[in-house]
Amino acid sequence: MLESIFSFLFKYRPAVYQRGQLGFESPLPFAMVAIGVAALLLVVLLTYRRARHRVGRRDVLILAGLRAAALGLLLFAMLRPVMVVATVVPQENILAVVLDDSRSMQLADQGGEPRSDFLTNTFASEESTLLDALGERFALRFFRFGRDVARHDVSQPLGFGETRTNLGRALAGVRRELAGVPLAGVVLVTDGADNAAAELTEPLLAYQSDGVPIYTVGVGRDVLPRDIEVSRVEAPQQVLEGSSVMVDVMLTQTGFRGDRVTLNVEDAGRIVNSQEVRLAGDREATMVRVKLTASEAGTRLFRFHVPPQSGELVVENNARDVMITVEDRREKILYFEGEPRFEVKFIRRAVAEDENIQLVTLQRTAESKYLRLGVDGPDELAAGFPETPEELFAYRGLILGSVEASFFTHAQLAMIEEFVGRRGGGLLVLGGRKAFSEGGYAGTPLESVLPVVLGRDADPEFFREVEVRPTPAGLGHPVTRLADDTDQSSERWSMLPPVSVLNPLGQTKPGASTLLTGRAEESGDSYVVLAFQRYGKGKAIAFAAQDSWLWQMHADMPLDDMTHETYWRQMLRWLVSNVPDPIAVTTPMEQVEPGESVTITADIRDSSYLGINGAQVEASVTDPLGVEETHPLEWTVTEDGAYRTSFTAEVAGRYDIRVEARRGDGVLGEDRVEIRAEPQPTEFFSPAMRAALLKDIATQTGGRFYTEASLGGLAEDVRYTEAGTTKRESHDLWDLPILFLALLAFLASEWILRRRRGLA
Amino acid sequence: MASPESRPAAGKTRARVWSTNRGGRLRLRTPRPIRAAAVSGLVALAVTASILPTEGVAQGGASSPGESRLRPTPNVKGRAFYFTRAVYTDVERRNTFGWWSVDYPKADRQFLIGLKRLTGIDAYDLENPVRLDDPNLRRYPMVYAVEVGHMALTETERAGLRDFLMAGGILVADDFWGSWEWANFQAQMERVLPGYPIIDLPLDHPLLHVFYDLTEVLQVPNVGLGRAGGRTWEKDGYTAALRGIFDEDGRLLVVINWNSDLGDAWEWAEDPYYPIQFSNFAYQLGVNVVVYAMSH
Repeated sequence: MLESIFSFLFKYRPAVYQRGQLGFESPLPFAMVAIGVAALLLVVLLTYRRARHRVGRRDVLILAGLRAAALGLLLFAMLRPVMVVATVVPQENILAVVLDDSRSMQLADQGGEPRSDFLTNTFASEESTLLDALGERFALRFFRFGRDVARHDVSQPLGFGETRTNLGRALAGVRRELAGVPLAGVVLVTDGADNAAAELTEPLLAYQSDGVPIYTVGVGRDVLPRDIEVSRVEAPQQVLEGSSVMVDVMLTQTGFRGDRVTLNVEDAGRIVNSQEVRLAGDREATMVRVKLTASEAGTRLFRFHVPPQSGELVVENNARDVMITVEDRREKILYFEGEPRFEVKFIRRAVAEDENIQLVTLQRTAESKYLRLGVDGPDELAAGFPETPEELFAYRGLILGSVEASFFTHAQLAMIEEFVGRRGGGLLVLGGRKAFSEGGYAGTPLESVLPVVLGRDADPEFFREVEVRPTPAGLGHPVTRLADDTDQSSERWSMLPPVSVLNPLGQTKPGASTLLTGRAEESGDSYVVLAFQRYGKGKAIAFAAQDSWLWQMHADMPLDDMTHETYWRQMLRWLVSNVPDPIAVTTPMEQVEPGESVTITADIRDSSYLGINGAQVEASVTDPLGVEETHPLEWTVTEDGAYRTSFTAEVAGRYDIRVEARRGDGVLGEDRVEIRAEPQPTEFFSPAMRAALLKDIATQTGGRFYTEASLGGLAEDVRYTEAGTTKRESHDLWDLPILFLALLAFLASEWILRRRRGLA
Repeated sequence: MASPESRPAAGKTRARVWSTNRGGRLRLRTPRPIRAAAVSGLVALAVTASILPTEGVAQGGASSPGESRLRPTPNVKGRAFYFTRAVYTDVERRNTFGWWSVDYPKADRQFLIGLKRLTGIDAYDLENPVRLDDPNLRRYPMVYAVEVGHMALTETERAGLRDFLMAGGILVADDFWGSWEWANFQAQMERVLPGYPIIDLPLDHPLLHVFYDLTEVLQVPNVGLGRAGGRTWEKDGYTAALRGIFDEDGRLLVVINWNSDLGDAWEWAEDPYYPIQFSNFAYQLGVNVVVYAMSH
């Protein structure tokens, strides 16, 4: 509508003004025009000068202004203004028409008609008037795309069965296909529901540098009237058996604002968790945190599901599947304590029954005298704290108790830093009289690892009893969440007795998260009690309390209370979660479409976690039918220890991938991972037409964005382009209707005003 | 269970009670020349023992006998270890200065001096008596009790001790002799932990090896017998025994040192006439018990 009014008033389509340049083709020289203008203004002023006393100064200015404007317009028209614009030479250029062939085009949100109907009628039918109009000026080349892009014969129907939409690959493919021909532009017809992880920036930059505009045609509604979607599920890929798993689920919706819906979690068809969720506003995210227990070892498939609600157009996006590998193995953690403390006894006691945690304790009981507990054999830690990376890196977690920094050699401190940064281990530093600044850690390699800011001055006399409370982040964190829902968890924290801190930790580093804070009862000061940060490949945690055993022993705690056990169990399990093995296999996605290619990446490291580049690495892939195939992995060259290969998951079902690395005759190790090939409803997630993305593609490349309603101008707009074979055209502007109307308006206003003031 | 009419059998023990209480303050003898061949740690200990700890002395030692002195809430907070003595009601229905206070507080202080010398424990320097029915007991996960053959726990003390043990605490019982006192102690423990058997600790139990490698359990005599140099037993307690009570998970709840008197050996460690091998063993076992209690 707006565009039609524009075209009526300005004679040409907006594209002409966007792309053209203003010029004047006046037969008169500029000086003569200037003199004319000056003379006219003089006449105007003189005319109204005489009337000054009769109507007042303000009216004179308005009247003179109106007349000057009218004369100015006349002059402008007499200068013969033109728009000079490049247009294609008919039939000498190619126009690519790129059609979306994916499943989301089957959605019937165009007044009850499927999106595919509009696309077929307008762009893929021999009767299309638009195609006729385009065909008059261009040679048309048709493409269809989904996961990949291919030439399309317009006489053949489109299937709309592609399971992914990959815009980046489509645009890059079209450009490659039409390299070397005069490509005047690309018409991209899609709902824009891109769901490939591929980058769009690179193909767009290529079009930009070629000067080829992309005209995007958005198909479908940009807001679905009623829809609930499980937009994202974030869960750890691997957990220890028996662990609590915190899963973040993001729901988005339109049309159900403020409604209550049920979110179910199914494990192999059995509902293991169900909670009621109050939905946020339209198109706003509702975050839900779900606590699950990883009860059985193996690769588990969890489904997060909101039952379809009335009036929902798309129900396929109400569920999402997530695979979690539940590991049944013992994770070794080294706890080094610099002095006898009850904390040792009670932490060991808290995790004693945890089959998946082996807490190896090395306790300095006197100068150069150590007590070793939980070791595998008489040789383990026989010489005290590990001296070599091989020895230390065999553990997945490290707890440092109250032990002064000067106990360690510089090499050992640097090794602990590498334990976190390079090996990817979890480090937990406990509060105590010889910890943090009070232990002299400021200025050591460990300072940068710690999530807290260490004061330069130690305060050996510092002592505060603090009431510990979780921060908002702490309420939902797998370590500090003490109950199934956050309210209960918060209540349990408020019932715990105060503990004491000997290290005044006041500040965390940028990027660190504080999970627990402590408020001193007397002074009201607040201190950091639990904070963590990612450091390199690992994580570092600071826990300031020196007597968390009071949460077990204090007289206020009921004997059957499990808070202390729960806290330490969760802490140690989280400490070693996602700690890499020397041989680690990953795939970019754990669920793929049948027929999709799967990249296997293996990270091969030695016992001190340095990448090995000369290894023979082989993947044995067992498909759902039990057929085993081997694929050698090649070193990527770009990264130490990284090897890659890919295979196609042809059959639907589960694939077991086992990667073994060898060097010479020796086996370095192996790792396995499981993936699942199933038809995915990916196309139905974010199914609304993505106008913003399509506008962006058009704007960046100098094209325009159209919807069904504004499609009429497309045939005209594509003419004006710098790409391909073009010629210059001048379009006269002197006879623009808007100029004529403006002139009339000025003169009429002047006349009416003069009448009112009695001048005419 | 012992009858209330029962009378303590050993007069010497009672005398010791009065000797430590009479002055209200510690009365330590000036050390005389010490016999050679003492363990180096204990030489240092004996010397140190002559210097009174300064930390909190006014509160711990200067007041006259009475309730306030029973509860010298440690004025230094945040220490890793407080040597805590169980205050209990005995068969004579006394809970202020009864059988619990034998060797108190000198033994406690001297043991702490040794403990701090020999280990890296950040221990509070003074005694810390706490009643078994005091909720504060749960702040000190190891509690030491003497003359437990004279225990006659009230119902609140029984409940307090049971909760303490069930929550994760450990009780160390010392200095009781012969079958009569054993029977009473056993009966008291049956009230606290009904159905929990008392078991002999084997010589390879970690308690005996956690710090010092102890290969035998010596009978440590009281100060009188030790000085005399003759027999080491009292009553019919001819052989020392180290026993324990365990919970369902195998955690040691009670360490029982029967027919032996660690407390006297600590209290008189600096006495040149008290045999060094006994005070040496008493310190070694005491240190092992503390290190074990803080790690197991």
